[in-house]
Amino acid sequence: MRFPKLGRVTLYILLIFFIFAFLLPLWTCITTSFKTLKGVIDTTPVEPPLGPLFRLPYPTMEPLITAFNIMKRSLLNSFTFTVAAMILSCLLGSINGYILTKITFKGSNTVFLFFTIGIFIPYQAVLVPLVLTMSKLGLYNHLGGLILTHTAYGIPITTLLFRNFYGLIPNSLIMAAKTDGAGTWTIYRRIVLPLSLPPFVVAAVFQFTSIWNDFLFGVVLTRGQNQPASVVLANLKGTTTVMWNLLMGGTLWYALPVLVIYLVLGKYLMRGYMAGAVKG
Amino acid sequence: MRFPSRKVFMKDWMVTSLFLLLSLVLVGYFVYVCIGWNVIVSLSDWKGLTPSYNIAGFDQYLSLFHDQVFLTSLKNNLILILLFVPGSLFLGLFLAILLDLKVRGEGAFRSIYLLPFALSFVITATLWAWMYNLDVGVINTLLEKIGLGFLRPMWVADPNIAMYCVVLALIWQFSGYTMLIFLGGIRSIPESQIRAAEVDGASGFDLYRYVVIPQLKAPALSAFIVLMVFALKAFDFIYILTGGGPGWSTYVLALMMFKETFRKNQFAYGGAIATILFLLALVIVVPYLYLSFRREKE
Repeated sequence: MRFPKLGRVTLYILLIFFIFAFLLPLWTCITTSFKTLKGVIDTTPVEPPLGPLFRLPYPTMEPLITAFNIMKRSLLNSFTFTVAAMILSCLLGSINGYILTKITFKGSNTVFLFFTIGIFIPYQAVLVPLVLTMSKLGLYNHLGGLILTHTAYGIPITTLLFRNFYGLIPNSLIMAAKTDGAGTWTIYRRIVLPLSLPPFVVAAVFQFTSIWNDFLFGVVLTRGQNQPASVVLANLKGTTTVMWNLLMGGTLWYALPVLVIYLVLGKYLMRGYMAGAVKG
Repeated sequence: MRFPSRKVFMKDWMVTSLFLLLSLVLVGYFVYVCIGWNVIVSLSDWKGLTPSYNIAGFDQYLSLFHDQVFLTSLKNNLILILLFVPGSLFLGLFLAILLDLKVRGEGAFRSIYLLPFALSFVITATLWAWMYNLDVGVINTLLEKIGLGFLRPMWVADPNIAMYCVVLALIWQFSGYTMLIFLGGIRSIPESQIRAAEVDGASGFDLYRYVVIPQLKAPALSAFIVLMVFALKAFDFIYILTGGGPGWSTYVLALMMFKETFRKNQFAYGGAIATILFLLALVIVVPYLYLSFRREKE
């Protein structure tokens, strides 16, 4: 009872009010993606299409099916480069984190600073050189280009996440292995890596959601068939101004993987947000 | 004791440093070389699709400050800094304190408040376009239902309030994040301190005002930095919700850079905006990194 003066009832009314405020856009997205165009006009957005029993129109799968057909290729694109870049950036981040905490060398702080600045830069400052580089490499409008881009710009944050975690592994463990004759790579493979499941989950969900959510790199590095789902959805919004049910259906498809991750592994995502915010 | 053979040891060290080297090369090139390259572009006269690196000096920068669109963008970034940053901090702090009051089902509330932050800006911008839609959108339909239909604000279609609509939606998306950071900060205050204050007679509002909030400086600072950097580089959300319109009313620096460069092929001009954006981010981030590195050393 830390706050005796504020009634418990008022507290819960406030909390529930904020639930409505935070969920209203998502809720109306779901209801609308099950409505016909006529249903969108005839009902208020908050009403789900439950059928005539509730004096409401019947639900329809039409918008979701049409939206899926428009977006399926791009969803597959997004999935491909997101998973690849997630794995690569996590592996590199893990090795960096290990080196920066367990093999302290002259200038290791400088190396860490070198990486950390990469977390904060506005990507606008690299866009033009990035596009030129990718065209030179033959990776413009190629999923490989997005994998390389997201891996490179993912390294700073994954390095930070792993460094935070590896700081907690006792140095005596490393020293013991060293005296047993293990070299740096062997120590990483045999001792550090097997302890790394928690940071790998944190870094992986963090990287999956941020790469999946990206729009900027996708829009400047790809066109047509190779566009990620974010860009295709944004284009859909730009071209259809009245088909709100279709647009909300597309939004739902694009949001789905992140929603599933959030439901299942939200705890780890929160840890990522908190660790990332300690310094960046 | 078994001593390692020198050869194995060297091989091990080589493998490890090769991976570090790979990261250094990737970050070195894609962050530092690209930023430098962009600065060079900004000092050139490159217009149109063929690259040109004739030195034009600071011409681009000088013309920026006579460009009404640039000044509007700068003003809108300032609106984000002055309204979005404190708005998200205060709402997040408020939610964190509410949830700290021994709430049943705290985890569920926390997850729901944080959900918008996990979503892509493409999603949240599309959702808010739907919220703000004039004819069938969520807010206007609800206003009509409760008899306030005559108001029918134009929301993002009204240049006078469009930027504030953007701010409102962004606070909606970010305050769950600040809540999480503050809640973590509150929870790391030793229970004994709270008890001691309670014994001394502090309770309710006073307990938070004099005991809890003063100890939240570190989480407040890190959330502040994250929000400030976002207030500078905000792009996707605004680009998709309003495209900068109506007119230039919701232009921000990152959006102007994108349009100048990728829609009008004004590469040098766009490069200059990007450089300014980068320098502004440095002004915020460098002192912060300096502080946290010094604290770590102590």
